[in-house]
Amino acid sequence: MRRGLRDVLFVVLPVVIIAAVAPLLYANELLLFSFVMYLTLAQGLNAIYGFTGYLPFGYVGVFGAGAYGFAISVMILGLPPFAALAIGAAAGVMLGLLLTPLLRLSGAYFAIANLAAAQAVYQVVSNPALQDITKGPYGVSLSEVFAPRLSYEVGVAVLAATLLAMAWLRNSRFGLSLQAIREDPISAAMAGVAVVRGRTIAWLLSALIAGLTGAVFAWHISVFYPETAFDIGISIFATVFTLFGGAATLIGPLLGVLVLYGVYNTIGITVPQYFQLIYGALIVGLVLFLPDGLVSLLTRRGIRVP
Amino acid sequence: MSPEPLLRVDRLVKRFGGFRALDGVSFHLVPGEVLGLVGPNGSGKTTCINVISGLYGRDGGSVTFRGRDIAGSRAHMLARRGINRTFQSPRPFLSLTVRENVEIAAWNGRGDGTKADLDGLLEQLDLHRHAGRAAGDLNSAQQKTLDLARALATAPKLLLVDELAAGLNPAELTRMAERLRELARGGMALLVVEHLMGFIDHVTDRVIVMNAGREIFEGKLGEATRDPEVIRVFLGTAHAR
Amino acid sequence: MLLHAALSGLVFGFYFTLVGLGLNLVFGVMRIVNLAHGDFLMLGAYSAFWLFGLYHLHPLLSAACVLVVFTLVGLPLYYLVVPRLLAARDSEMLSLILFFGLQQMIEAVTSIAFGTTERSIPGRVLGSGPVRLLGQALPTSWVFSAGVSLAAVALVYVYLYQTRLGMLTRAVMVSREEAVATGIDLHRVCAIAFGLGLGLAGIAGVFAPFMLGSVTPAIGPEINIAAFAVIVVGTLGNPLGTVLGGIVYGVSLMLMQTYLSSWANLLPNLLLIAVLLVRPTGLLGRRVRRA
Repeated sequence: MRRGLRDVLFVVLPVVIIAAVAPLLYANELLLFSFVMYLTLAQGLNAIYGFTGYLPFGYVGVFGAGAYGFAISVMILGLPPFAALAIGAAAGVMLGLLLTPLLRLSGAYFAIANLAAAQAVYQVVSNPALQDITKGPYGVSLSEVFAPRLSYEVGVAVLAATLLAMAWLRNSRFGLSLQAIREDPISAAMAGVAVVRGRTIAWLLSALIAGLTGAVFAWHISVFYPETAFDIGISIFATVFTLFGGAATLIGPLLGVLVLYGVYNTIGITVPQYFQLIYGALIVGLVLFLPDGLVSLLTRRGIRVP
Repeated sequence: MSPEPLLRVDRLVKRFGGFRALDGVSFHLVPGEVLGLVGPNGSGKTTCINVISGLYGRDGGSVTFRGRDIAGSRAHMLARRGINRTFQSPRPFLSLTVRENVEIAAWNGRGDGTKADLDGLLEQLDLHRHAGRAAGDLNSAQQKTLDLARALATAPKLLLVDELAAGLNPAELTRMAERLRELARGGMALLVVEHLMGFIDHVTDRVIVMNAGREIFEGKLGEATRDPEVIRVFLGTAHAR
Repeated sequence: MLLHAALSGLVFGFYFTLVGLGLNLVFGVMRIVNLAHGDFLMLGAYSAFWLFGLYHLHPLLSAACVLVVFTLVGLPLYYLVVPRLLAARDSEMLSLILFFGLQQMIEAVTSIAFGTTERSIPGRVLGSGPVRLLGQALPTSWVFSAGVSLAAVALVYVYLYQTRLGMLTRAVMVSREEAVATGIDLHRVCAIAFGLGLGLAGIAGVFAPFMLGSVTPAIGPEINIAAFAVIVVGTLGNPLGTVLGGIVYGVSLMLMQTYLSSWANLLPNLLLIAVLLVRPTGLLGRRVRRA
């Protein structure tokens, strides 16, 4: 059986089925939605970080752009949810396009400039001067389109599409060529790989995923503030989950979300600072001792993981 | 009648700030020919390869490959059009397997990249036994060979070889020289930068001696060693007479 | 108004030079990005509150204590994490992630220990009444902080250009490989530069309450962006280029606050992105592009 098909059957399909039936077994739909959201975002981050080595610290900027693209479409343009989703996704991609020149920078500068860009978008959206469009710092309410069940299902559909795209990246010539760019851009160019184009495609795919996820998020929770949609914590979570599980694989980010976000929610969030401390320590420990994530315990021994 | 040159380099200039790394170098190469590029450190040999392979832009002169000027073409475009190179210190994709390293080049370059071709290439270079290992696990001689395999997998018509011999033992040297000759017999043109004169003597048809970004001699290596200018550059003025 | 904005911009520029200086020193010597820089600055500010609250210690004395203590803290921290990073393949990127983790830890611990309320020290501690410069009145605390910043820049200059260790440090900045090949004890040079980087962040922190107003444990990332804008404008890896970056930053910040105040908070982010895109080498030139 071809590897790609095997990954779809044994990884993508079970995850999507479980996510789809989970609301029938467990009542806390908001929590389930958060899981679906992070499963998707971690894979979106994986597309750019795992495959090209470029870490978008400001990934939440694209997510927030998607959320506000959705919100403005509903509030100002009066669009129905599905059209607003398309606008949200487009907003994410547009921001991604705007930031493509950053891909000429080497990795660390990309990461910092990306974070600065996310902050800038947040500052624009939350600026009281734009209150007529974005409602500024006062937040948006989209109660007229509120549909928790339907938006959850759309979230699962986005997750399914994302996982399929990642299964393709993991098993395609294009995905392998991207990894060559990550390893050594000059050698990759000499192997005939179009370095800048490859990075651009991966980044736009990543931006599309984040924009779409942001739009679905806006729809699902329907009342939110700029601080919610541009919470840097969202970038942090997506990064830590991906690093913890193992970037550039399909199951790494999945593992990361299930284990870490699972633990996070089981213990409960009484004092957020303690979690911040633990996550910080986890990042330091990972970089020092397990820079390639949990899956590297297997890959080091020459075992291929999906 | 001599065949149409595959590569024509004409009065090539490359500056770094005020320093002229290449100061009007001209030469040409025909298919099946092996040209050696020798000269002291800093004479511009590797810069020459970097410009021809598209890693550096140039500040003057022209490089014509298969009748077309390559001005403005990025490295990956040139790799697809038939120019490839090896690196002085090899830079394989360390966390990918040996086979994947070569596959990427075969898919993106001009090669057909069929499985049989790849197996043949790996076997020819004695890499087939390591095909499933990560490139980072190879020793440095094996990494050099993998670097060559990566270049060859793109099926180049012109191969630029940057100090391939350094670090190889005598037996490996002989084998490598034989491989390069064989590639030339198959019609590939090679530009070989090398310090080891024995290797140059064995492999090349003709040499260009460079100093300070200029060519000071062109011809047979045997004649070069009798050329007073070449002797002066290599051995200092005391030996010039 | 323009003259006032320009003058206060210059004063702020000197202060922001100090904010970026330590980050740039660490980057210049080790090619790693200390993303916890802003949090060490925040810790410097908290040290100053604490010393002032308990002992009414003058900020200048606090600054001296902070410089010594932070530099000493930097040495073991260096040996704990940096040699491992330098040995890794993509140390620049890994350092970014690692220090980001450290940044989160520092922010969390400070929040737990001191709470998240805003802290400040009254400006009159540094002298009452405004200072008149070219007919413009500037708060004494600003001018004082700017003076300390210039003194710190001078200190770094003397260290790099007048001492033996500084000369070795510059050698490492030019080429780590060659410096090691000539027998320089790389880790000793780097550890001291790392410690100094933290010490400089600490001093900048001591004066942060006067220049930036109140300080909270969460101020680190914001400071980082400002520090990055400063050093990217003024050339990465060139500690003295930081002065130029600081001045450009300070003056544009004050001009924005005077003429376009509701958008002034956008400045550091936009300046950083713009300079990276338009002139990624910084105003004095150094490569950061790869492809």
